[in-house]
Amino acid sequence: MQRRQFLHALGAAGIAGGLPLSALANLAAPAAGVSVEDLPPLEGELTLYLGRGEGGLYENVLAAIEKRNPKLKLGIRRGPTAALANAIVAEAAAGVRRADVFWAVDAGAVGMVTEAGLARELPADVSAQLKPGFQYPRWSPVTGRIRTLPYNLDRLGAEQLPDDIMAFAESDLRIGWAPAYASFQSFVTAMRLLEGEEATANWLRAVQRRATSFAGELGVVMAVERGEVDVGFANHYYTLRLRAGKPEARLGLAFTRDDAGCLVNASGIMALAEGDLSINFIRYLLTREVQSYLASEAYEIPLVEGIAPPEGLPPLDTISPPELNLTRLADMRPTLQLMRSVGVL
Amino acid sequence: MQYFPRRLRGASLVIGLVAAFATQPLLANGPIGGHVNHLQDHIGEYSEEVNRLVGQVDAMVSAYEAGGKGAVDTSELAEYWEDVNYHAAIETQFVPVYAEIWQGLFAVKGAIDEGQPMAEVRKQQDLLNAALWQGLGAVKLAAQYQQRGLLVEVQTTDTGPTTPVETLGEIKHRLDRVVAKYAEQLSDEALGIVHDTYLHLFEGVEGALIEEDAELVEDLEKDFNVTLPKSIKDGASVDAVRAVVVAMQGKLDQCKALLKAAEDNRKDVF
Repeated sequence: MQRRQFLHALGAAGIAGGLPLSALANLAAPAAGVSVEDLPPLEGELTLYLGRGEGGLYENVLAAIEKRNPKLKLGIRRGPTAALANAIVAEAAAGVRRADVFWAVDAGAVGMVTEAGLARELPADVSAQLKPGFQYPRWSPVTGRIRTLPYNLDRLGAEQLPDDIMAFAESDLRIGWAPAYASFQSFVTAMRLLEGEEATANWLRAVQRRATSFAGELGVVMAVERGEVDVGFANHYYTLRLRAGKPEARLGLAFTRDDAGCLVNASGIMALAEGDLSINFIRYLLTREVQSYLASEAYEIPLVEGIAPPEGLPPLDTISPPELNLTRLADMRPTLQLMRSVGVL
Repeated sequence: MQYFPRRLRGASLVIGLVAAFATQPLLANGPIGGHVNHLQDHIGEYSEEVNRLVGQVDAMVSAYEAGGKGAVDTSELAEYWEDVNYHAAIETQFVPVYAEIWQGLFAVKGAIDEGQPMAEVRKQQDLLNAALWQGLGAVKLAAQYQQRGLLVEVQTTDTGPTTPVETLGEIKHRLDRVVAKYAEQLSDEALGIVHDTYLHLFEGVEGALIEEDAELVEDLEKDFNVTLPKSIKDGASVDAVRAVVVAMQGKLDQCKALLKAAEDNRKDVF
């Protein structure tokens, strides 16, 4: 079905989550997402569970949504993403629902709630705005972050870096990593799911012999920049931000291909309450204004089609992240056991 | 007797108290008790407790003077301190003084355990007494602010900071607690606070900070991951650990100014 026909069918069936027809017409445009100007105002009470973890810019987005929608009474409960996911599941087991919407900073926690059958199915036009590979029926990725290989330009050329993450086990490069860091553990989880337990354990053991550990991934990237290590494993935004603060930094950014080394993880949002309000709230986060804001200010990767990535990052469709249902990253316990068993943690 | 030491007077204490109170989701190890949200009603009780503590310490030091270290059980010093409500009041109001009290308690204990001359023991006793009275002054001032509604209630759950500037305030507060726990001779707990503060708070703002001043962030990275943990692990003096923390707090103030300016210049979402 063509996209235009599809939207027409949605409008006829009246299942587009309360969007006015003018907005549906705008959704038909393939370019750069829906504008906030085309969305209906948000009115009523809404309770958001917001996973803490980013540097405050989600709060700016929420404040802007509230300012634009004076009849919206937004209650926010903040906490670590995993703890909020647990709370939602526990509340449901107790027969109560306090959260109308859950915005998680990583997709792993999303899986816990969707698997419990607590998330509503999203209207198809919401998912259709997202890039291929990031369309899910019961939750929506908001923005993404990609695993990268920051490397020191004075010590290496990009051609000297393996494009296979597993090949780092045999390389003689000096590597920086942050095993205690949550994003690194999600990356190892992806490797475990894609390559298997034994291969992942062997990789961890081999890399550990040449790796220097850091507490966080900004520390990894700074060590690469100083030349203390040749290459690191880190989320993309640390390199972009360090370059922004230190334009002379001799930092390159490389990617592996089709493996856990270039995993794209995402923050995710889901509606738990019936009705249009929670769905339309999600639409606000997928507008081109919010997506562009998070790209330019937080260096996050927009996951709505047609929105430019943050400066310094190639378009997502030129990178080849692995095919992996991100909600499977919730399966963290075996990862931690594995990392402890090989002495990495 | 010095109820309100000169160094406590003036605006810096007021600002410190308000800041300490406004950013203090961390609670004491044990039950705090609702009294900390009704300080004015308990000032008399706290004053009696401070007088009692001063008397208990003096009795122990006098016993040491008369009979040597075999005549006293210095482990009781910590019990005296942990047994009073004033303990929670000062811990929730002004952590730097809380640290000084622990430091003073262990200094008296150490001087006695090592069989130091009386002059040295009395000197440490005087410093401890000064910290106890200083703390009472801080609590009295906080009570006045609480009465005027200028201080938020002590939270029973961790609400957490929501902006980068608030986060930096919380980091400074937690660093005060590092000194407090170190002074309490709980090195592992102090190290745990350093580690958690870095991973759960500083790591969340350093990305934005590095855009503003990469060298400052590198400095703080080193402080969090090398300088401060090393000084704790090496068993440096409480004053030395405090000096590291004070230097870090100065850098965090610079960060706060940078982030505030960046936030003021940030583009609108819509």
